[in-house]
Amino acid sequence: METGNIALVLNAHLPFVRQPDYTRFLEERWLFESISETYLPLLRLFAKLEAERVPWRLTLALSPTLVSMLGDALLRDRYTDWLGEQLKLADRELERCAGDPVFHPLAQLYKDLYQQNYDDFTVLHAGNILSALDFYYKKGRLELMTSAATQAFLPIYRAFPESIACQIEAAVVSFRSVFGRSPSGFWTPHLGWYPGLEELLSAYGLQYSVVSTRGAMLGKPTPRQGSYAPVACPNGFTNYIRDVAATESVWSETEGYPADPAYRDFYRDIGFDLPLEYIGPYIEQGQIRTFTGFKYWAITGKGQDKIPYDPDLAAAKAVEHAENFLYNRARQAKKALPHMDRPPLMVAPYDAELFGHWWHEGIQWLEALFRKAQGTSELNFVTLAEYQRQYTENFESVPEFSSWGDGGYAGIWLEKSNDWLYRHSFKLLEYMMELADRFPDESGLRERVLNQAAREVLLSQAADWPFLLRSGKSGSFARKQIEDAVTNFSRIYEMLCANTVGTEWLTKLEKRNNLFPHINYRIFRRKR
Amino acid sequence: MNVERLNGLSIEALYALAEKMALDLPPSLERIFVVEAILEAFEEDNEDRKASGDAAIHIEEKKFSGSELDEIDASLDAAPCIARRYNETVIHCIPRDPEWAFAFWDVKDEDVDALCAAEGFSGFFLRVIRSALHDGKPVMSFEIPVGDEDDHWYIHLPEQDSYYRLDLCMRCGSKSKVIAHSNVIRTPRALLADALDDLESDAAALAALSGLDHLKIQNPPDRHPSRIMGGFDD
Repeated sequence: METGNIALVLNAHLPFVRQPDYTRFLEERWLFESISETYLPLLRLFAKLEAERVPWRLTLALSPTLVSMLGDALLRDRYTDWLGEQLKLADRELERCAGDPVFHPLAQLYKDLYQQNYDDFTVLHAGNILSALDFYYKKGRLELMTSAATQAFLPIYRAFPESIACQIEAAVVSFRSVFGRSPSGFWTPHLGWYPGLEELLSAYGLQYSVVSTRGAMLGKPTPRQGSYAPVACPNGFTNYIRDVAATESVWSETEGYPADPAYRDFYRDIGFDLPLEYIGPYIEQGQIRTFTGFKYWAITGKGQDKIPYDPDLAAAKAVEHAENFLYNRARQAKKALPHMDRPPLMVAPYDAELFGHWWHEGIQWLEALFRKAQGTSELNFVTLAEYQRQYTENFESVPEFSSWGDGGYAGIWLEKSNDWLYRHSFKLLEYMMELADRFPDESGLRERVLNQAAREVLLSQAADWPFLLRSGKSGSFARKQIEDAVTNFSRIYEMLCANTVGTEWLTKLEKRNNLFPHINYRIFRRKR
Repeated sequence: MNVERLNGLSIEALYALAEKMALDLPPSLERIFVVEAILEAFEEDNEDRKASGDAAIHIEEKKFSGSELDEIDASLDAAPCIARRYNETVIHCIPRDPEWAFAFWDVKDEDVDALCAAEGFSGFFLRVIRSALHDGKPVMSFEIPVGDEDDHWYIHLPEQDSYYRLDLCMRCGSKSKVIAHSNVIRTPRALLADALDDLESDAAALAALSGLDHLKIQNPPDRHPSRIMGGFDD
């Protein structure tokens, strides 16, 4: 019998950044970078492990906004164009670094990466990453979960169950339309949980989620198996518990594996280092310096003096860190096992984009984890669905309101930089509920209008906006997204009140904010 | 943050940025000093964020990193394009953590006019009412005076695992009148629901192995060391 189980859970999410009104848009790069550095490399890893018959199991939460963008034809075309630009830059870099024994091979590394991405995306996957993920989902190696429609931080909206229900329903419907079956697992954004959420989740056939260690341990009653086994709410909904040690070893910005000096530095990028006249064509508007993805330096240390990146040294370090991770989990499991009636489970949830994008070697680390675990009988990788099938009885406890954010509650999404937005998102909700009550059974044009209103309400709730406002990164973009949602909704509300609909404007808006095509505004009707 | 980028902004934009960052700069300051003050404030802000130890959130920020505009609000010169308020009489409350809640409210213009014109009107205040159950009887309350111009407040709540409601009130002479009620909120627990001493040894061991110390999660109040010592004294 194995000593312990590990469930790696990656949350893949980006906010809705599609901007068809512009020929190119800075924030769309978030998607392109994530496809290039995380999603496609993950698919390559899965293929490699399959080909070499290395056992692997992974749970991947896909946010509905990301699913919408990955399935969008315009963004697929734009990504292909962007790859073309990256390849041109790679060629120029090869030319610029010609003869340099250190930097030319690094430039070649990026040329190979983008060429591989181009080939995989356009030929192997024919632009359809979701279909590629579905392949492994059907095989049972990869479990896919869904998440709140626009990643709203759910505890903040708990006074509006209609709103939470809409976040869940739009997600479940979107998942089913893409993958042909209903999801069992639901990733609560930022592990934001509150007692009572289980009732709404269960109503949509969802069976389990992941909560923070704090939330679980403060649950009532206190879990009897600590964080080493999930807990069940009285209605049967299961909550898996984040393992502190497993996550800290990767998350810690200063002491986690990704901070090792041998790894590639994320910040030093030729977009900032090279003269404008050279790098201009590859950055925003020819003058706003951006990350290009071409990074030649190792983390080295805290100062600005960096040593050149050595991919072989970094790859060896990723293997070493994978061994260390497994060693520590085995030790942890051995300590817990004598106190348990089953092998302990360690749930390690991370942001998917951490791997490959920020932690360049993260995908290699994952590969090494599965390869090294193959040779031991101590640890076993499982998906949450597999574990759910194996252990149907769990200790009954309801987790406390919590999140994985700083302080463990809602402090990140509710503070001085972002608290103003809730006046608007709450008002939109109230208006939306009023509209759903006034127009309970519309069809045709008016139904389209109401459904678009519901989309705008969901867009206003994205937790990314308060998060960005707080972090100071892309704050103006975040503010504009909220303002746009409020403005669009207000116009719809006024149109409905005046009984006039601007068809041309509505059609344009539907094309711009084209997510959740199957949304049903009636979900906002007040529960009586 | 980048000096070149700041130098590209107009002096008005620099002042707007300073104001947004809550910097109280004297008017007509030389450009070089405005830039310096902004840079310093950014540096301090970054240090604060680094010191917060909020690794998960810091790492999550990385996927949104993009350009040198990240740290400068690109729409500095743009006025907000949505109304600040909705001219309605309402109060909402959102729990933030075991100790704090956020409240925001509005009073319809015509109501404000009528209220302020009332004889003996001396101002608005929030009444914070605690109850043990969601629909339970109030067990205590306290008041927070707020200004006529205020429309939001962070409220310190003394009891975790308790229910609170806010009333937005006005004071008229020795009397008060409720203008709006908020929703009821519950403050989450910050302490274990069950004392570790009461758990079976296996459960207590697993709780410890789950990182309670790391998370600074403690026993419920009746098992605080001072109370336990009191028990020994008995």
